[in-house]
Amino acid sequence: MKTKLLFAIAFLFIGSLIFAQNTISGKVVYEKGKPVPGANIYIDGTYDGATSSETGDFSFETTATGNQFLVVSFLIYDTFRKEIDVTNFKEQTVKLRENVNALDAVVITAGTLESGDKARVSVLKPLDIVTTAGSAGNIIAALQTLPGTQTVGEDGRLFVRGGEASETQTFVDGIRVAQPYGATTNNLPTRGRFSPFLFSGIAFSTGGYSAEYGEALSSVLLLNTQDEPDQNKTEIALMTVGLGLGNTQKWNKSSLSVNTAYINLAPYQAAIPQNVDWNNPYQSLSGETVYRYHFVNGIFKLYAAFDSEKFDLNQQNINFIDPIRTNLNNNNFYLNASYKGTIGTGWQLTTGMSYGYNNGKVKLNSSDINSDENAAQLKIKLRKNVSDHFKLSFGADYFITKFNENFNDNTSINVANGYDSNIAAFYTEGDILFSKNFAAKVGFRLSNNSLLDETAIAPRASLAYKVSKSSQFSFAYGDFTQTPVVDYIKYSRFHEFESEKARHYILNYQFTKPGQTFRAEAYFKDYSNLVQYDTRDIQYNSNFNNNGSGYAKGLDLFWRDSNLYKNLEYWISYSYIDSEREYKNFPTMATPSFIANHNLSVVTKYFITDWKSQIGFTNSFSTGRPYNNPNEAQFMNGKTKAYNSLSFNWAYLLTTQKILYFSISNVLGTQNVFGYDYAKTPDATGFYNRQAVVPTADRFFFVGFFWTISQNKNDNQLKNL
Amino acid sequence: MTKIITVITLFICSLISAQTQFEQGMGKAFGLWKEGKNSEASAMFERIAAAEKTSWYPNYYVALVNTTGAFSEKDKTKIELMLTKAQDALDVEMIKDQKNAELFVLQALIYTAWVVADPMTNGMKYSSKVMEAYAKAKAIDPNNPRAVFGEADYQLGGAKWTGVDTKPLCAEVDKAVELFATFKPETAFSPKWGLERALEAQKGCKK
Repeated sequence: MKTKLLFAIAFLFIGSLIFAQNTISGKVVYEKGKPVPGANIYIDGTYDGATSSETGDFSFETTATGNQFLVVSFLIYDTFRKEIDVTNFKEQTVKLRENVNALDAVVITAGTLESGDKARVSVLKPLDIVTTAGSAGNIIAALQTLPGTQTVGEDGRLFVRGGEASETQTFVDGIRVAQPYGATTNNLPTRGRFSPFLFSGIAFSTGGYSAEYGEALSSVLLLNTQDEPDQNKTEIALMTVGLGLGNTQKWNKSSLSVNTAYINLAPYQAAIPQNVDWNNPYQSLSGETVYRYHFVNGIFKLYAAFDSEKFDLNQQNINFIDPIRTNLNNNNFYLNASYKGTIGTGWQLTTGMSYGYNNGKVKLNSSDINSDENAAQLKIKLRKNVSDHFKLSFGADYFITKFNENFNDNTSINVANGYDSNIAAFYTEGDILFSKNFAAKVGFRLSNNSLLDETAIAPRASLAYKVSKSSQFSFAYGDFTQTPVVDYIKYSRFHEFESEKARHYILNYQFTKPGQTFRAEAYFKDYSNLVQYDTRDIQYNSNFNNNGSGYAKGLDLFWRDSNLYKNLEYWISYSYIDSEREYKNFPTMATPSFIANHNLSVVTKYFITDWKSQIGFTNSFSTGRPYNNPNEAQFMNGKTKAYNSLSFNWAYLLTTQKILYFSISNVLGTQNVFGYDYAKTPDATGFYNRQAVVPTADRFFFVGFFWTISQNKNDNQLKNL
Repeated sequence: MTKIITVITLFICSLISAQTQFEQGMGKAFGLWKEGKNSEASAMFERIAAAEKTSWYPNYYVALVNTTGAFSEKDKTKIELMLTKAQDALDVEMIKDQKNAELFVLQALIYTAWVVADPMTNGMKYSSKVMEAYAKAKAIDPNNPRAVFGEADYQLGGAKWTGVDTKPLCAEVDKAVELFATFKPETAFSPKWGLERALEAQKGCKK
């Protein structure tokens, strides 16, 4: 016992008495052999260490003995860790590898325009959606100031790079929204259903997107709800077009936001001369809610939205003496539940489902058209960080759509049409970071469509190469397929349709500096398998085939700058497009009526501190669009005059939490013409008469008062405007 | 019995000597910081943090050195690196203890640094987070002078252009100055900064 004790004492003493000093020295460099100053070099578990000098050299003494771990760390490089013998580490060179996940690593940017907190390069900030003059809180209208989009004033939806509006799909938290737009009728523009401020990030891809997204020929719009609201608050909006009320409650692990709005355009329609005759103004009642719950390893979100819309109007039609009366009632419900979290080591799981229900009741003169659509998507996605240089993701999704439409003219015809579509898809994708400057993404999507009875495989690939600190090139290629639109497939018999196809090639150059972004993108799109029919209108006895084709090619430019002048921000978008199609009932290849060859948008925002005001202007210009004049021999030979609209807005801060907002679109009152509707039959002299398609009103104006009630007196609704 | 006592005594002795080593290390790091050698000080605190996983001070100071450094830095890329480093260090301690008012005060300071670096981009994004972090700090310790002062100071910064009444905010500053006078740091390394800024703000209020 005594010897044992003595031994213990001796051991403890020796440990603290003998300071075996060893010198550790060397040089820290990175891959190209250049010295790294300011790196932290130390023996793990001890205080012994040093900071490298300007020349990368270091030297320190340690009392540690034997084999120890030497750690060298510097923020932008991977931490170096190596077991060394402390008596024998002198004048050694430590080479650090660049951290490929560092903030300034290359990211693939071909085709994608991002906004939000997580975006590396934001072309739009979340606030922009609402402070852009002319957007009036409509996400879609703000996106129409970006390159690659077409201004189609009589429709309101997103038309991307020569594609129809139906070729763009919208996703909330990665899950599809089957009915993203409000209800509308012939030549009345619609708007997005979603209010912008529940979303923290928006990615708008104009082509070449990931294999994760299918059933979209041209474009995907990805909206992500906020993970966490900032605080408890109540928001009140009083507007010339209606009322809004919102409340957010935050608890320890969860939060709930609820927004409701009632819109009635009667005061506006009374004040501004209208080009159509309203029997009942546009009215809508809508509500949205987001519930979020944070688990230790993940987050669950439930998003639900309901809206009910109605209006009643009379529209002149060249084919009838009396105007056509349209009375519309539409109800829409959307539910989206998703979970995102980590499991095991380095696995990330994203799963969710969505359900959308849309019921439309339209009365056209004495005829009734009732339609019902039920659409759901189930989705699961797994992602694994295999290493810093390779990430693998794969997943599966299932789309279910049931559509029914009933037409009853209340005299003789009463028909029902509909379809059931089920699409199962699987995809996989690998992200490879060869170095901090060179990255690739390769994947494919495999899908099976029961309605069309077809299986398709769509490869996707993209590359990005960073040429300097502030500029990079990206290239993207992909095959995309989409089920033909409801107008056709509701008449589907015996799997007679095939998916429509597009192939994208995109070359992108991006230059970024703090406060400045420049993008240039050239693209070529090859369409095939487009639906054609042989009748004047789409009807049950048309002969359909999938022999149509087309192309779109062009150049998109974008410049955003906030450095030019203090408190001024502006961006300029220019798109050039050349596109032709032989589809629908076109007799030859021709440019469709929604395409203008040149589009230019200029958006400016200026904050005047003395006036506590933000003032913004947006000018949208596009060259004339083609239309078909049956009095001429050549198909689609007409061209409208150019389109121009200048919008203005003004936000005034009464106090930090009370804002007065004013906006007016088309200040100059330009008489825009979107196209012409020609009579189906010629008059007695053999001449086809026509009617211009014009906006429902030349101007739109809006005055609103927004009040935020919260603990934090600095928060306000500037972001909601 | 004596044998056991001897062993225990020896064991305690070696613990005390370890404590001293910690004090020495911290002292050296503070010395470097005072000399203005921020990156060396930060590196030293990082080394201590790596060796002493039970104390929250080393990581706290890694975060504080880098955050205060970011306020005077002009290069935006460097600011980003410093604040990222500060946030990473703070996150390590925040996971271990969510009942520490000082950590929330520092969190608010990091967000404030982001706002100061680029008000146009970060103002909206971080303002309410700053306020939330101060609110959490005050909920844990209503008499923490840094929490009371920080919250008032941040709002004073905004009040200059929004024209919000500064009187109640200045009252809070006065209260914070009193709290600084009575504040007793728990240990030699406990945070005790902030009085100078508070006195400056008090002067500004009286103008």
